[in-house]
Amino acid sequence: MTDVADLVRPDGSAIRGRRQWPLPKLADPTAPLLVVDGLTVRFSMPSGSVKAVDDVSFRLDDGEALGIAGESGCGKTTTALSLVQLLPANGRIKAGRVELFGIDLVPKTERQLARYRWREISIVFQGAMNALNPVRRIGEQIGEPIEVRLGVPRDGARRRAEELLELVGIPRKRAAAYPHELSGGMRQRAMIAMALACDPAIVIGDEPTTALDVMVQAQILQLLETLRRELGLSLILITHDLSVIAETCDRVLIMYAGRVAEEGPVRRVFTAPRHPYTQKLLAAFPNIHADRRTLDVIPGLPPDLRNPPPGCRFAPRCQSAMPVCTEVVPPEVRFADGVRVACHLYPTGDAAAPAARLPAATEPAPPGPAR
Amino acid sequence: MNGRYVVRKIGQAILTIFAIVLLNFLLFRMMPGSPERVLLRNPFLTQEKIAQVRKEWGLDKPLIPDQLVGYVKATAVGDLGYSLKFRGQSVVDVVASRFWPTVILIGLAEIIAIAVGLSAGAYAGWRRGSTGDRVASGTSLILYSMPYFVIGMPLIVIFAATLGWFPTSGMLTPGANSGSFVGQLGDFARHLVLPLTTVSLGLIGGYSIIMRSSIIETRSEDYITTARAKGLRDDRILRRHAFPNAMLPMVTIIAINLGYVVAGAITVEVVFNWPGLGTLTVDALSSRDYPVLQGVFLLLSVAVVFANLVADLIYGVLDPRVRT
Amino acid sequence: MTAPALPAGVRPVVVASPATGARGAIRQVLGRPDGLIGFLILVVFTALAIAPDLLVGPLQTAITGSGPRLGPPSAAFPFGTDELGRSILNLLVHATRISMVIGFLATIVTVVIGAVLGIVSGYVGGRFDALTMRIADFFLVIPTFVLAIILTAIIRDVLGTGSREVFGIRLSLLTIVVVIGITSWSSTARIIRSQTLSLKERAFVDRARVVGASSGHIMRRHILPNVMNLIVANAVLTFAGAILTETTLSFVGLGDPFQPSWGQLLDAARSVGAPGLGAWWYFVPAGTCIVLVVFAFTLLGSALDAVLNPKLRSRR
Repeated sequence: MTDVADLVRPDGSAIRGRRQWPLPKLADPTAPLLVVDGLTVRFSMPSGSVKAVDDVSFRLDDGEALGIAGESGCGKTTTALSLVQLLPANGRIKAGRVELFGIDLVPKTERQLARYRWREISIVFQGAMNALNPVRRIGEQIGEPIEVRLGVPRDGARRRAEELLELVGIPRKRAAAYPHELSGGMRQRAMIAMALACDPAIVIGDEPTTALDVMVQAQILQLLETLRRELGLSLILITHDLSVIAETCDRVLIMYAGRVAEEGPVRRVFTAPRHPYTQKLLAAFPNIHADRRTLDVIPGLPPDLRNPPPGCRFAPRCQSAMPVCTEVVPPEVRFADGVRVACHLYPTGDAAAPAARLPAATEPAPPGPAR
Repeated sequence: MNGRYVVRKIGQAILTIFAIVLLNFLLFRMMPGSPERVLLRNPFLTQEKIAQVRKEWGLDKPLIPDQLVGYVKATAVGDLGYSLKFRGQSVVDVVASRFWPTVILIGLAEIIAIAVGLSAGAYAGWRRGSTGDRVASGTSLILYSMPYFVIGMPLIVIFAATLGWFPTSGMLTPGANSGSFVGQLGDFARHLVLPLTTVSLGLIGGYSIIMRSSIIETRSEDYITTARAKGLRDDRILRRHAFPNAMLPMVTIIAINLGYVVAGAITVEVVFNWPGLGTLTVDALSSRDYPVLQGVFLLLSVAVVFANLVADLIYGVLDPRVRT
Repeated sequence: MTAPALPAGVRPVVVASPATGARGAIRQVLGRPDGLIGFLILVVFTALAIAPDLLVGPLQTAITGSGPRLGPPSAAFPFGTDELGRSILNLLVHATRISMVIGFLATIVTVVIGAVLGIVSGYVGGRFDALTMRIADFFLVIPTFVLAIILTAIIRDVLGTGSREVFGIRLSLLTIVVVIGITSWSSTARIIRSQTLSLKERAFVDRARVVGASSGHIMRRHILPNVMNLIVANAVLTFAGAILTETTLSFVGLGDPFQPSWGQLLDAARSVGAPGLGAWWYFVPAGTCIVLVVFAFTLLGSALDAVLNPKLRSRR
């Protein structure tokens, strides 16, 4: 983790770390990079209001990589999109703060948000075939934010685009290619190059490797890691694949049904998970090194978010559920080893090692580089 | 652009044209009475002409393949027979004299309709549900349901008969040939306004509806979300990302639609007495001047096939995915 | 990149499978504003078309026309009179019957040809399919209207004049029915063929084949019921097109003055110069009827399409 160093340049403009561009005008140079507090997002649908994200909080520091994990529909993508308010028309942020350098982005209008989009927070989407404009060359698409958002003249923008392509391992001359002329892995690299175009502070990767085969996936992850080190990027990686998080991330946020289940340093959470859901999630990943055992399955289905169960949303499927779990929303508790949990099994945060194991649980082995 | 794509499209066009000629041949044979009697009904053909025509058309030879080949050959060199109504004038001459008024009418109308219809449809679809959208869509839907002549007739009543701004019919005022060129051009323009408006409105109705739904579909594509994430302004996203993609199916639609535009243009010419291929068709119809009817059919069909070919090639330019 | 939400305004629609039947589908269609409005308009026109004699008396002729020539609307003649003194209202209601019946018959012919060719072509495949689709594409490209004009003229001349009637429609107009069928089947055939192609791959077809059912049996008992939804939605839109085509053909002179349709009325209006004379009452009623009916069919067609074939739409 880099320190928040070099806060002020000789000419007085505020910078951070290895950042090239000045901070936004309203930024507080001493504030943490990103603080999300109590984020709540609702979707209004004809069949009711879907409480997709409920009171989610986390923090991202300079140069950190945070992984957000969970099943499909748990709200991880929605959380990420709502950071820059890219929700579809029927989605609304109902409550919470999203503070970038101390600037709250939630009350901002589309126009005001434009300043922060891509220049501070950019996104690498899943399935780059659809996320890239099929009738424009990739060099042009990468150069577009440089030209339009940063005011760089066109040929300068194109040159920078070519540099970025080289950075991600694509030959310069492919800048004239159209998206359909590239392989899946190269398209994903092009998306990464595009995400880096304005030198953002945070890059969000929304399932960036899910559509790729394993070999390419490894290359992309390695690329992300290299870029993070060399450029001092901060990363938010969204995925349902825990092994990806284990390889690349410093901290992990486990979400279930729109709420935070557990959050903390990757090693801690993966070796000694506290929340029953986390334990089940890890147990569902067979480890190539461990003894052969039956595959652990979580019975039941995630709740219907139009009418989520009262209290803890995991309670209906939880083997350790207690009466209080179906009545009261579990409060978040912080442990000394840096882990946060929201579960009634842990009413207070004590300094001791991970709490009591579930009687029926088997020892979850850490999901190492099993792939 | 990929040569193979171009060659394939040209090949298909040629095949279609050949099918049209074949169909024309069959129609020719379907005419009541034998062809020579139809041709020879014209009392102004001299004996030599008759014998020449018999020989040219090969009417003394067996039907297939000789007559067919003869017909194809004659068509290829531009001999389409002689008009029954216009006293010995060749079909080619008759048709040629009516060609340009129709081309100008349809051509200008398409240009206007593409410019207005695609833009209106794009804006309506982009701001779906807004008042502007509802007004535009409602108007388009009504226009789309109106046959062209139903649009034209009220225009005559309002703007020509009642307000007197434009003439009620025709292309030029009789006797205006003696005026200056600019004067004649102005006269032509005044006569052109109402029929042009009619065809344009008819086309705009359809184009804006289809463009609107194309933009709505495009809007939900992932690359539009990417463009929003880049912090680009809304109108830039519409112009440079949504529109170029939404326009692709329009090219095909416009091309396919040309066959119907011909029908509409015919009726508009009739309503406004515009001296083009449309009025020629209807006149030839009432006098059962089959050679002219077939000549018009051949010309219009070939023109539409050609326009479709151009549209296919344009599509190849606009959508890089089909080129490989 | 997935957001766990449907775009705004999407209504979850229950697919009406052949099993749930027509009643559920009808209720859904009528529940939609476009379906309801379209349906009501068509009910009105059908009512007018069924027994015009009861509503306005027999069709007036040059002899029985008793009003002023080209008279504007008045108490006695609510829609004015034509150049022969006949009440336009009278002509209009009778024309409604003619236009609707011709449209209906033409739709039947078109849809039957299109569906049969579409199903057979899609199911049998091979050279028959390739040839049929080439022909269908041919008909889609050429200006079929001019072809229709020529064909109608030729067939009329071959059949000769006469006042024979079938279904209460004179032969001259039945010619138009046939010609519309010949020139309009292509788009129906293409649509049905697409659906047949995807149905062909489904398990129940394989099962039938394994059991030894003949192709004809499979097409009739398995494919046909499953494309019926598509056929119905398509038929509604075809009806609108048929009315437009018949109107246009009549407008250019192929109508029958003894059995005037809306198009024929408009032709008459034009040839006496009604627009230039400002005699709007001659053509506005017929024109409005055409627009209303086509509009109604378009609305109903899109409602049917949404209810019966929601999967074919990516997003609404």
